[in-house]
Amino acid sequence: MASRTATKDIITLRGSAAIVSEFFGYAANSILYNRGVYPEETFAKVKKYGLPMLLTQDEGVKTFIANLTAQLSDWLESGKLQRVVLVIMSKVTNEVLERWNFSIETDNEVLEKGVAREKSDKEIMREIQAIMRQIASSITYLPCLDEPCVFDVLAYTDKDVAVPFTWIESDPKLIANPQMVKLHSFNTKIHKVDTLVSYKNDEWDEE
Amino acid sequence: MENVEISLDPETEFLYSKEGTGNEWELFKENVRPLKRGRNVRLLNDALKSQTDHLLKKSLLHNRRKMVEAIDEYKGDDPLKPWLECIKWVQEAFPPGGDCSGLVVIYEQCVRTFWHEDRYKDDLRYLKVWLEYAENCADAEVIYSFLEANKIGQTHSIFFISYALHMESKNKIKTANEIFNMGISRDAQPIEKLKAAYKKFLGRSMGRPKPTDEDLTENRLAARSFGTVLARGETRNQIMESSDFSRKKMKQDRAYGTPLNIYKDTNANANATLFHQLELSEADSRSWYTLGSRKERNKENNAIPTKWTSNKIPRRAGHITGGATASACIDVFVDEECAENYKVHSEGGKSSTLLLRQGDGQNLKKETELLRENPLRNFPPICLPR
Repeated sequence: MASRTATKDIITLRGSAAIVSEFFGYAANSILYNRGVYPEETFAKVKKYGLPMLLTQDEGVKTFIANLTAQLSDWLESGKLQRVVLVIMSKVTNEVLERWNFSIETDNEVLEKGVAREKSDKEIMREIQAIMRQIASSITYLPCLDEPCVFDVLAYTDKDVAVPFTWIESDPKLIANPQMVKLHSFNTKIHKVDTLVSYKNDEWDEE
Repeated sequence: MENVEISLDPETEFLYSKEGTGNEWELFKENVRPLKRGRNVRLLNDALKSQTDHLLKKSLLHNRRKMVEAIDEYKGDDPLKPWLECIKWVQEAFPPGGDCSGLVVIYEQCVRTFWHEDRYKDDLRYLKVWLEYAENCADAEVIYSFLEANKIGQTHSIFFISYALHMESKNKIKTANEIFNMGISRDAQPIEKLKAAYKKFLGRSMGRPKPTDEDLTENRLAARSFGTVLARGETRNQIMESSDFSRKKMKQDRAYGTPLNIYKDTNANANATLFHQLELSEADSRSWYTLGSRKERNKENNAIPTKWTSNKIPRRAGHITGGATASACIDVFVDEECAENYKVHSEGGKSSTLLLRQGDGQNLKKETELLRENPLRNFPPICLPR
């Protein structure tokens, strides 16, 4: 039996950015699947983080997410990204129903001095796994989305970031009086990602 | 663009605060019945903690009693309100739902209290209580007919959508179609929602062939994804009809108490509804794959004795001793303390309020079972639809 001393792996800023942006891609897919934004049949199973993860096969969505993660990776490397939010809205009324927040804290020392950090890859994977499991289990408390929905992604960046070509400036698309639940977080020692999901209070006297 | 935001939005505030969210919801997720309207996680976590914490449990019973009192003591001009508060509270406090929570009992009492009141006939909240009640019953059709006959909730789209989807799940496609059309012709609100649901329904009914028995086996073993149940097949465009069926089937499984007779019983229950009747032999091989509905599992306790028709025991020669005549009923001994409760219990309507107040799990369970089978049992027969 191998002993449990975790071997630490070296993580660079670029590597960490890759891990976080990849995480976001899989998380977005998982949310779209679990919340029924796209039909189940349009997803395929792959193995990732030691779990069966679902990825969309829809070309449009695939491209959108791929471009997204590339851009996020870019921002992460320069330490300009503060938060990414996946917003789920009603297709008909455009009302915001859910917001999946992923807030990012970047280690300044790494940014400035270009040092690397050490952490076991396995441990990072375990932390991410925990978040993915929570996303899948969140139907326990999330309201049923029984209408067609669309999603969008908001990025909170530093003020001095130029808006890339395919992005536009937007309002935060907040939910009024949201219910909020904090989920697990993960840390690459360079980027720390906290997760929060907020959703609309479903009232009895609303249609 | 230059404005400095002094006040943070609630999410940002929470995100950066030290406050966390307990993870009881995740640890006990199998014990939580998802609600259509979602849950408050803080209340959920507390409720789950109370399963092991004795003090919390006590305060739970105490709170339930107080909520019921609030209903009685309400003096304002919207008597439905305290009922809704109570229902919401029961849903949060008893995450698994279930027969001992008293949820079905309170739905029933609430609807029965106001069914004749004109002011609530078009009230959306009141209608929603009816619809949640319907979801918990073995056969909701009788409830929908009742609502239609008594003109309750006829201006709201969700009535027609729920009714039609229920009929669809019973494979009564023509009826479902009629219901949608009726709702549209009455201009139920919001009309766009009704029309969208109708469109989806038409899409499903076009591509639906007769299912074969083979399909059913596959679907029985198909992994049930955690997120399908509540969506009722609406948001999922069903390209493959087989998955359509598995989902509908799963939905039927999950509509608590819906009878899921797998085989044709000689004493077939008149209320039994099913996609297709399988032969007995096939049922045997399949019987281990499904748990069966609550009613099925409980049938030893509920089955009414009937004539044994299948086997005949050859009559033995020789006389049969008489004396099998039913003598006077044996008197059931009743404790003094219980004598009073027993008396009240036999008094029709008022009794269930008492049940709720006592919060006695066993009594609630019994009443819940009776209501599931016959949701309108406490209503005066005169108002029931013919």
